[in-house]
Amino acid sequence: MPSTKFLSCIKCLAVASGVAVAAGVAFIYSGFYPVGADDRHTALTFWALETLRERSIARASAGIEVPKNLSTPERLLAGGADYNDMCVSCHLKPGKTESDFALGLYPAPPNLTQAAPGHGDPEAQSRHRFWTIKHGIKASGMPAWGAGHDDERIWNMVAFLRRLPDLSPGQYQVLTARGSTDSDHH
Amino acid sequence: MKRKVLCWQVSLAVPTLLLGFSAQAHEPEKHMKEAEKPECAAMKTMDPSKMDRDDPVMQAMMQKCKEEMHQEEAGPEDSHADHSRHHDNGNANSPVEHEE
Ligand code: HEC
Repeated sequence: MPSTKFLSCIKCLAVASGVAVAAGVAFIYSGFYPVGADDRHTALTFWALETLRERSIARASAGIEVPKNLSTPERLLAGGADYNDMCVSCHLKPGKTESDFALGLYPAPPNLTQAAPGHGDPEAQSRHRFWTIKHGIKASGMPAWGAGHDDERIWNMVAFLRRLPDLSPGQYQVLTARGSTDSDHH
Repeated sequence: MKRKVLCWQVSLAVPTLLLGFSAQAHEPEKHMKEAEKPECAAMKTMDPSKMDRDDPVMQAMMQKCKEEMHQEEAGPEDSHADHSRHHDNGNANSPVEHEE
């Protein structure tokens, strides 16, 4: 007797999950899900995506070894010039608080000129950033830069990002300028 | 028929994209031509007592502005003597005192 009860329960669950899957597929096909970047996620979707991203990057970057010499002036200069060429349009610079990318992308690119909240451990933050820059983030505007840039260049940008929140617009300009004053005197 | 059109589109799109991306130049050297020059003038007006020469940001700025700073310094000392003098101050951990 109990075994038939058990069986009917299984059947009931199977039917219920079948209905759920069918409803999900029907919803996808219905076209009712809004994909516009100017349509905000619900709190639940936002939490799910944010948590998925943070957990995934934390796990994937756990084994990365952070170079000991991240604070050299050479790294700041190399990383600064690359940042200015490739990243400002989305992540801004001292004195610049908005751009078309910063306004229109969703998820919005974080303003990297502001100290990131909630990252107490600078080593963990550097690993997290290195991984993100190298691999990018799916279905967001953040590209994977690892394809055209070796690890050293990415570490240089990580080094620059550590100091970026301290920089004034003038300091930023000097650190990121590709040219040198030498070229005047030939 | 459709597939042929798609094939055409792809074979046109791929080289166009590649060309577009290569114009963004991944190699640092390629940026040199249209390179922005560092605006070092601001550094010259900075209060030397507020410059922390052990700070990598300051070191990087000095490296970038070397040429311009040397022209201004126009003193008998060469740059090395200058560096070591300031370094002593840094080690003693006392900011340079300025007589008022
Ligand atoms: C087209 C816009 C765009 C460009 C260009 C871009 N990013 Fe991003 N980046 C993003 C977006 C959007 C996110 C947030 C993704 C998310 O929240 O899922 C992001 C996230 C990041 C993060 C993670 C921040 C954190 O604390 O979680 C880092 C670090 C970062 N970008 C660095 C860079 C660097 C360095 C460059 C230049 C090499 C760059 N990005 C270029 C759009 C961009």
